[in-house]
Amino acid sequence: MIAVLGLVVGVVVGLVVRPVVPSGFEPYLPIAVVAALDAVFGGLRAMLDGIFDDKVFVVSFLSNVVVAALIVFLGDKLGVGAQLSTGVVVVLGIRIFSNAAAIRRHVFRA
Amino acid sequence: MSSGREPGMTEEHHHHRHEPKHERHEHRHDHKHDGRAPQEPAGPAAEPEDEAAGASAGPAAAQDKAPAVTGRQRLKAGLWPPRLTRAQLIVALLLFVLGLGLAIQVRTTSDNGTLRGARQEDLVRILTELDNRSQRLQDEKRGLESQRSELETSSDQAAEALKQTRQKARELGVLAGTEAAQGPGITLTITDPHGGVESDSLLDTVQELRAAGAEAIQINNVRVVAGTYFTDSGSGVRIDGHQVAQPYVVKVIGNPPDLEPALNIPGGVVQTLEKEQATADVVRSQKITVDALRPQKQPDYARSSQ
Repeated sequence: MIAVLGLVVGVVVGLVVRPVVPSGFEPYLPIAVVAALDAVFGGLRAMLDGIFDDKVFVVSFLSNVVVAALIVFLGDKLGVGAQLSTGVVVVLGIRIFSNAAAIRRHVFRA
Repeated sequence: MSSGREPGMTEEHHHHRHEPKHERHEHRHDHKHDGRAPQEPAGPAAEPEDEAAGASAGPAAAQDKAPAVTGRQRLKAGLWPPRLTRAQLIVALLLFVLGLGLAIQVRTTSDNGTLRGARQEDLVRILTELDNRSQRLQDEKRGLESQRSELETSSDQAAEALKQTRQKARELGVLAGTEAAQGPGITLTITDPHGGVESDSLLDTVQELRAAGAEAIQINNVRVVAGTYFTDSGSGVRIDGHQVAQPYVVKVIGNPPDLEPALNIPGGVVQTLEKEQATADVVRSQKITVDALRPQKQPDYARSSQ
């Protein structure tokens, strides 16, 4: 419950306060958000499976974000940033879908 | 949150944390169980189970009770009642960060299009396009400016030409008698009580004045121009068909030192008029106004050949 509240508060604060993101970090923000979403879905699935572990969640969340941003950063340096970010989004999207399917099986039993 | 249940929660939480493998195993059990009996009662909701797990806190107890714990019940238990545990707080913090990032990203994307999130190469491309565009616009601006200055000078020329044409039209109007004229000149007043002055005397006077350089002539209120004709009538003279009676006041614009002697020369206009028992009086003036006008006539057939 508090976690959900945290999400809501984060969205509200982001919309109200309008913080300025450092321009160097800006290109990686969307990828980082998608990676974090993947981690969150994975965590939700683990919770429903009963194997949720906050340490695992924290590590997976942070590493997902960092690795995704790193891949895009590397792609930018190599000149294939657009393709690599597309690849990252596709992979994370597949993971999100499979996790969502597991969550759906738990919640709706279907 | 009830304080009485707090230790139980913590216990359960610890249990979850320290024995994930066991939990996974138990989960598999859960699935099988579900498969065999899908109508497993979800009734004894989260609370008894939590308490049970809290009380026993042992692997065996968990295994006993676990099959009843479905994902849905875990979700329910996680959502309500809210518990202030470390895991919840950490997850809340991370989700807060996620929400923040989401909101920022959504806002920047909707705020100023693709520019903010664009990568370097895209920005370079956009910048190049903008440069090209501004170059094109600069060219266009230069072309338009030269066109404008051209138009301005040409309109200046046109205005100048118009001014000159008007000036010329005024000068020609003075000659043609369609414009009033003003300038130095003389006033010749012919008083003729006996009616001795006839049209030929007036014509001689006009010819003499013209020869002396008169530029605009008016007799009484009739303008004298190139085509003016004089006819005799019973009581006086007709000029261009207008009856003119004595005294004849001839207003002449020209150079007074030229005009006056031309009239006064021996055997000239004044002496001839005096022979006719008329008196001629010449007065110089620096400001003679010739304001009798002739109607402007458009030629019916003649057109400018230019």
